[in-house]
Amino acid sequence: MSDEPVTGVQSILPEGTQPTPMLPKGLKRVPSGVDQLATEHLILNVGPQHPSTHGVLHMLVELDGEEVIAAEADIGFLHRGIEKLAESRRYHQMGTILDRADYVSGFHTETAFALATEKLAEIEVPRKASWIRSLVMELNRCASHYVWLGPVGMDAGAMAPFLYLMREREMILDVLEAISGSRMMFNYVRPGGVVRDLPAGIDAPLRAWLAIADKYLGETEDLLGGNEIFRARMKGVGVIAPETALAFGMSGACLRSSGIDFDLRKARPYCAYGEIDFDVPLGTVGDAFDRYKVRVEEIHQSVRIVRQLLDGMPEGEHTSKVAKALRPPAGEVYAAVESPRGELGIHLISDGGPTPYRLRLRSPAYYNLGVADELLAGGLIADMIVSLGSLDIVLGEIDR
Amino acid sequence: MPAQRVADILAAAGVPSAPSDELLGAVVRLEASRVADALAALLAEGFDFFLDLFGTDTGEAIELTYHVRALAALDDVFLKVVVPYDGEAPSVWRSYPAVLHAEREAAELLGVSFPGHPNPKRLLTTEGCDPFLRKSVAVRSAEEVRLPRE
Repeated sequence: MSDEPVTGVQSILPEGTQPTPMLPKGLKRVPSGVDQLATEHLILNVGPQHPSTHGVLHMLVELDGEEVIAAEADIGFLHRGIEKLAESRRYHQMGTILDRADYVSGFHTETAFALATEKLAEIEVPRKASWIRSLVMELNRCASHYVWLGPVGMDAGAMAPFLYLMREREMILDVLEAISGSRMMFNYVRPGGVVRDLPAGIDAPLRAWLAIADKYLGETEDLLGGNEIFRARMKGVGVIAPETALAFGMSGACLRSSGIDFDLRKARPYCAYGEIDFDVPLGTVGDAFDRYKVRVEEIHQSVRIVRQLLDGMPEGEHTSKVAKALRPPAGEVYAAVESPRGELGIHLISDGGPTPYRLRLRSPAYYNLGVADELLAGGLIADMIVSLGSLDIVLGEIDR
Repeated sequence: MPAQRVADILAAAGVPSAPSDELLGAVVRLEASRVADALAALLAEGFDFFLDLFGTDTGEAIELTYHVRALAALDDVFLKVVVPYDGEAPSVWRSYPAVLHAEREAAELLGVSFPGHPNPKRLLTTEGCDPFLRKSVAVRSAEEVRLPRE
């Protein structure tokens, strides 16, 4: 520290500049912000190693103070070339790499691929196999929504609901492990059906979860949706107009929370959905809170679906007879399922060989993330995490 | 919707095309240079939902497939254009902003370009990566790529 006392305005101004006349007494300089100088824009890197980017997402954000001027999603950190690898895998081996695309709801990717293969090779699927597929997919949807709901609460500063939701998710994962042998990398749905029948006694743990699911989720709703701070953080934040959602090809809960009624399970029923009774929740405003409400209601509807599937599970074979080395005829098909994030499509091109000629994974989160630049600009940096989190992005599926 | 109806919509917009109904659905093939006009015409006719754009190496050229849907009527249309290796197709982001990421991905993974794209950077891979969705680029194992240790 200098020994010389600060004697006046002169001492802190650069050499050669005159002190501003009319400076109020007691002030050494004009307070920043009223000097009519443009504030400097800051480029901020968020991620890819950041807990709130829900995976290895890198956001480049241009800031003017607290306000986001522009935002760009930088992806590819988890790119493993799944579409290229699929060209050297036999049809029965595909589950192992497709599980690693959308790693929180592997059953949906597996089923989309199985549906595409069955369409191409004209394979009949036993009714029971379709019902089992719907059952595991709905359980997977709940597990996926739990693992969205918990972290999005944490994004907004709520810690406790995450722990409760992980407890319920664990009950589902235990069931899925008993069915498929794995907690997340299932490799259970194959062209023609599923690998094996439901294990004996699976009813008990499933009904144990069904008995508490609605009640415990209601408690979480009280903790999150009933919390004034959470509502303030979510309401009016990250508003996506219906035309914006359509322009960016958004699907799933993101599209429906903007008020557009489109659910593949209703629009083009696959597996057992044509025989099941359920509602499709819609939002009205399209903000983060609507996306929260829609996903919570989707869990309630999934519980309803699982109950019906369990009660009406048909007898019969769990798979049809499928050649070990499947060679579908040359052709091109598209099959899609409603994954927790939206329309997950598999576009399959065969040249008659034992491996696909080209496999394209239409990833819903990849398109949902496309709105990020449009969504974040003009908002506040503090709202950015909530807005992004409310999209429910899974980088494994985005990067493939 | 039959492919012929789609071809009629495109013909009204002055874009010649070859329709065919396949296992995939309504497929319409056209010149790569006219794809932006074609998609603008489809958007005006109610095809409001863009699903996907991806490229396939046919062994002779790159085939680009644009998948759009009319949500209300639940009609799917697949537009196919063929561009030579290192060729180009106009960017269609002014009709469907959803294509912005997909065009960048197709460009880097198949070695084609989309003139008119506002931000034509790489998306998934880093500089120097081969366009590895081409059939001429072999899949290499981790052992082959990893550098030998001392």
